[in-house]
Amino acid sequence: MSLADARALLPGLKTAASEPAEDQKALRQLAEWCVRYSPWTALEGADGVRIEIAGSAHLWGGEEALATDLSKRLGRERIAHRIAVADTIGAAFAAARFAAGDAPLILAPSEIRCALAPLPIEALNLDPAAAEGLRSVGLKRVGDLYAMPRAALARRFGTLVARQLDRALGDLPEPFSPLRETPLRRVRLGFAEPITAPEDLRSAILRLVEDLCGRLEREGMGLRRLDLSFCRLDGRVERIELGTAYPSRDPRHLSRLLAARLEAVDPGPGIEDMILSAFAVEPLAAEQFAFAGPSAAASAPGSSPGQAVAPLLDRLGNRLGLSALYRLEARQSHIPERASARSPLLPTILKDRHSGTARRAGPGNHEHEPSLVGQADVHGFRVRGLAPAPRNDECQKGAPRPIRLFLPPEPIEAAFLLPDDPPFHFIWRRRRHRVRRADGPERIAHEWWEGEGAVLSPSKGGIRDYYRVEDEEGRRFWLYRTERAGAEPPRWFLHGIFP
Amino acid sequence: MSPAKRTLLSSLRERVRQIERPGSAHGVFSLGFAAIDRALPGGGLARGALHEILGTGSDEEDGALAAAFAALILGRLAEGGSVLWCLASADLYGPGLAAAGLDPSRLLLVEARRDDLVLWAMEEGLRTRGIAAVAGEVKRLDLLGSRRLQLAAERSGIPAFALRRWKSADEAARWRAVPNAAATRWRVGALSSRSEGNEPGVGHPHWRVELLRCRGGVPACWEVEIEDGAGFVSVAQRLANRPLAKEEGFSLARRSAGS
Repeated sequence: MSLADARALLPGLKTAASEPAEDQKALRQLAEWCVRYSPWTALEGADGVRIEIAGSAHLWGGEEALATDLSKRLGRERIAHRIAVADTIGAAFAAARFAAGDAPLILAPSEIRCALAPLPIEALNLDPAAAEGLRSVGLKRVGDLYAMPRAALARRFGTLVARQLDRALGDLPEPFSPLRETPLRRVRLGFAEPITAPEDLRSAILRLVEDLCGRLEREGMGLRRLDLSFCRLDGRVERIELGTAYPSRDPRHLSRLLAARLEAVDPGPGIEDMILSAFAVEPLAAEQFAFAGPSAAASAPGSSPGQAVAPLLDRLGNRLGLSALYRLEARQSHIPERASARSPLLPTILKDRHSGTARRAGPGNHEHEPSLVGQADVHGFRVRGLAPAPRNDECQKGAPRPIRLFLPPEPIEAAFLLPDDPPFHFIWRRRRHRVRRADGPERIAHEWWEGEGAVLSPSKGGIRDYYRVEDEEGRRFWLYRTERAGAEPPRWFLHGIFP
Repeated sequence: MSPAKRTLLSSLRERVRQIERPGSAHGVFSLGFAAIDRALPGGGLARGALHEILGTGSDEEDGALAAAFAALILGRLAEGGSVLWCLASADLYGPGLAAAGLDPSRLLLVEARRDDLVLWAMEEGLRTRGIAAVAGEVKRLDLLGSRRLQLAAERSGIPAFALRRWKSADEAARWRAVPNAAATRWRVGALSSRSEGNEPGVGHPHWRVELLRCRGGVPACWEVEIEDGAGFVSVAQRLANRPLAKEEGFSLARRSAGS
């Protein structure tokens, strides 16, 4: 029906523009809020949310109580909804969208077949073409397919129809990819009355952390990465993410780190649930709690910074961002920008979970792999592309290297006499430097195994000729020249400064 | 004088010394260059204190010499643990630090965009056991901020280095004159290479190191040359032992008292 027809029928019609992007955002928010029921939540099409409650329904007093609670809260937020609980994703989808009635529908495993039979074919979440094809041959209801041999169904209408049917009936497993990474440990604290006061939140944090740390202590594990979610009364979720430099299960330290970030949390109309999730845990022996004296700090060169400074790193990373802390790692490369690599000291958090590794193969089958970027920094090297350079590398002793290196190199205007000569003067940052002395050129080419697309790809010149020059003040710079194709003059860059 | 009075007198002397040079309770460390060590009270740089390092000319914006001078000093301290270096911009280069005598694997780098965050990170570092020294690159350093760092250093005995780096000459002029509570103030400037014979090419780093201010000491100035390859330290010592080094001759501006 067009808008004009609708207006003709009902003159007082209220209209609103469709905003699919905003809808999607709101749905995502709702799905994130649903983590109060289970860590596994996901979006379902443009207007649904999936929640895997296999392991968490008992915490709410059963599936029915959980569904009632969810329905009550959604109703309070005036969100029109239909809830269905079933053993397979397909059955829950069909029941929630196509079954008659308004009340939450809970299907026992034995009821699925009967309940699905009278529903239209579309309840199997098919693409429109497949549904159209089935309808055109008179297969209108899900039950009509039960008797058909699967092979014939697949041949006639494609494998999707047969697969969707088998999945809905529980004959085939259906993968579930949660919105957020799946936590390894999870503690939830619900409040009868929503709380907003910072001191209440702080004491709640301490309770949650103590609870989690108690569990970890029994298991001999320590936390590396955790997440504290605040489920607000209005269906929004506030989040604090935290990484630690060293496995920790010290409730005082962890709760202090979390409390330091509380000011960024907006409690809104009130917080009714707080969920503390651990995403990365590592073995932590009990004796490591002992006082770490100077001997622990003064460990062998090249080893980890030691546990003594771990709380410092946690505090710094907590305030300045996890990626603000790093070490410089020497790499085996003669390309200057690669010879020294940043290696983060704190585990960084994966932002997009859809490309992540946490996936569940089916209900009850917890197949997940905690993914931790940069975990190797504290506990040794992980080779990413380039091997770490041996200590006191020969190349470090050879050609001198600047103490400050600019990335990207800064273009300069340089004047020179002969093609292989260093410039006799150059202009950098609007200041003219007259070159009094120069060393070079030192030729640095791309690494032979790399083709196009590398830092020094053949297309970008491929070769740099470096000069170490000293200006009339005695300042020393590292300049380089790249040739350009044809008769164009070479380009000059300033890459670093020597002491 | 009775023995009791003598012990009283010596304890009083010690208290006066503490008042005059706070942080000296943690002792001093050698810079590895005898001429400079001699000019410092106690024969070295105080451990529990804040030291300020400036560049000269356009290097005030790039901070290359200040970083190299700090690396030279920190390289001597790094055996005691990790060095925390707080940066405003991430352009420190590992191989260059290694050449200046500071093992980059000893270094914990922290990037903070604002001065107040750099100072906060430095203060946190100064309170942590296991940190051998703290360095930070700051534009603004006023009496209050520097006093906090100085007190934190006095308490823990961890030396702190404030590397001054400004965005422009105007900013440098504005903030250079603001007084602060650092125990010493150094200025390092580049000098032209000394050519032996008439050799072409860039010679060894050649600096003028000025001690502009020193609590309990007198300002002084040295001209030093640092041979690369072997690191700053050993060569500085060699220079000190070499009669050729013009060490005392260049102790200019020996005024009677510290500023």
